[in-house]
Amino acid sequence: MIRDLRVTLFALLLAIVSGAIASAPASANPLLQIPEFEGLAAKASESVTVTLDSALLQMAARFLSADDPEDAEVRKIIQGLQGVYVRSFTFDSDFAYPQADIASVRKQLSSPGWQRLVEVRKRKEGTEVDVYVSVVPGSNKANGLAIIASEPRQFTIVNIVGAIDLDTLHKLEGDFGIPKLDIESKPERR
Amino acid sequence: MSRDLEDLLRSGLRPVDPGEAFTRQVLARVERERERERERPPIVASRPRVHLFRWVSAALAASAVLAVVFYNIQERREQMQGLAAREQLLEALRVTSEKLDLAYQGVQTPSREDDEDSHDS
Repeated sequence: MIRDLRVTLFALLLAIVSGAIASAPASANPLLQIPEFEGLAAKASESVTVTLDSALLQMAARFLSADDPEDAEVRKIIQGLQGVYVRSFTFDSDFAYPQADIASVRKQLSSPGWQRLVEVRKRKEGTEVDVYVSVVPGSNKANGLAIIASEPRQFTIVNIVGAIDLDTLHKLEGDFGIPKLDIESKPERR
Repeated sequence: MSRDLEDLLRSGLRPVDPGEAFTRQVLARVERERERERERPPIVASRPRVHLFRWVSAALAASAVLAVVFYNIQERREQMQGLAAREQLLEALRVTSEKLDLAYQGVQTPSREDDEDSHDS
């Protein structure tokens, strides 16, 4: 029952996304200028830095197996992509990362053409998640995705350039070691 | 008897002039032989060609080996880059999926305290 409700809500969210895409006013540069965060990697307990341009994505696609269903799904996702950029840092202490750098990325996303699809603010937990899409003017196709997620001990910036299918991307949940939401076994949040 | 034999021998062995034509023929033949000798390549002169041929063969063989080695190195490098790119891509998608999931959870189950702070546009 609750699962159905959640699925419905997420479907609603995707519908809202499509509506937002359709009404987007102008084109934005889907490629963000993400700071290098060179010094942070040394401070962080874990860091993920991914920089894949079009050529590297094509190279990666050649090494995705056609027989493996997971690889086939990934191949489908990256078909229209021109770049994937990820910066993610995890720290041992709270808010050890520079807020100014994150603010500079947020500022780029305030330019016309970028549409904020999701904004999550959990003041109590100190969690903020924003999902933005950039759209091709005159069409309802996304040509860029940006995610900025900051938690007390982790911040992540994701920038995907190219045609993106959010639904397919979300279907990857569970395929990369992320457990699928099992609502029945989780305690209800208040 | 012995005088007759002696006369016979003497007349038989007397010097005879070969004539102008014979002399010309002999001289012409000598000249032809010399010409032929000049035209024939000396044995010593052919050695550099043999050396050149050997060097060219060795160079070609070395080039072929180097080309194969270079191709293999290049192919191996590309394979390693491709596999690294694949790993990076999977990691990037994992992080993306994780953060979308975080957003999904935030939208789906806003707590009462966070209700005022959480929105989806």
